[in-house]
Amino acid sequence: MSDQLRDEIDREVAANTILIYGKGTKDAPRCGFTLETIEFFNRFGYPFEVIDVLENVPKREALSSLTNWPTLPKVFIGGQFYGDTDILGPMDEEGELEPLLRSTFETKGIKPAINLA
Amino acid sequence: MIDSKGIEALIRATLPDAEVRVVDLTGTMDHYDIRVRSKAFAGKNRLDQHRMVYAALEEARRDGRIHALQLKTEVLNV
Repeated sequence: MSDQLRDEIDREVAANTILIYGKGTKDAPRCGFTLETIEFFNRFGYPFEVIDVLENVPKREALSSLTNWPTLPKVFIGGQFYGDTDILGPMDEEGELEPLLRSTFETKGIKPAINLA
Repeated sequence: MIDSKGIEALIRATLPDAEVRVVDLTGTMDHYDIRVRSKAFAGKNRLDQHRMVYAALEEARRDGRIHALQLKTEVLNV
């Protein structure tokens, strides 16, 4: 994995509180799981970014080895890796995700766009 | 393509005690919803539990027999 690629990923992960590496973009997802992950995060009302790595094989391989996770999408929250909706779904069901998102964004002074109460 | 028996066998090769439930999501025998229960998951976080199942299925994913899969893991209590 080139340093340049590693730095690029580190910068992207640091710059986006919720970051989804996936296939396609937020406006044009090209994989059912990427779309599902976008819809999943839309429910919480926090900003998130989607970075398309569908065609970028070296970056996909770098991400897979960095995270020891073979599939896309790959989700990072507050710089931490959280897998995909197979991980985030159960976390949400157990009431762990919303508090994590709230506290992560609180440190950046960001409130959810919709009132969840 | 791979059938559910094939998936179960691959998972049991590394998780012998695993209870495996396989659902073919699209009828094309390559998009699966897989739930795995095993004692081996005890003490491991969910990410690591899923990593164990991905490792068991790695070959079938790499050669395309499995195109896409959804995972659910649970600890099988002793």
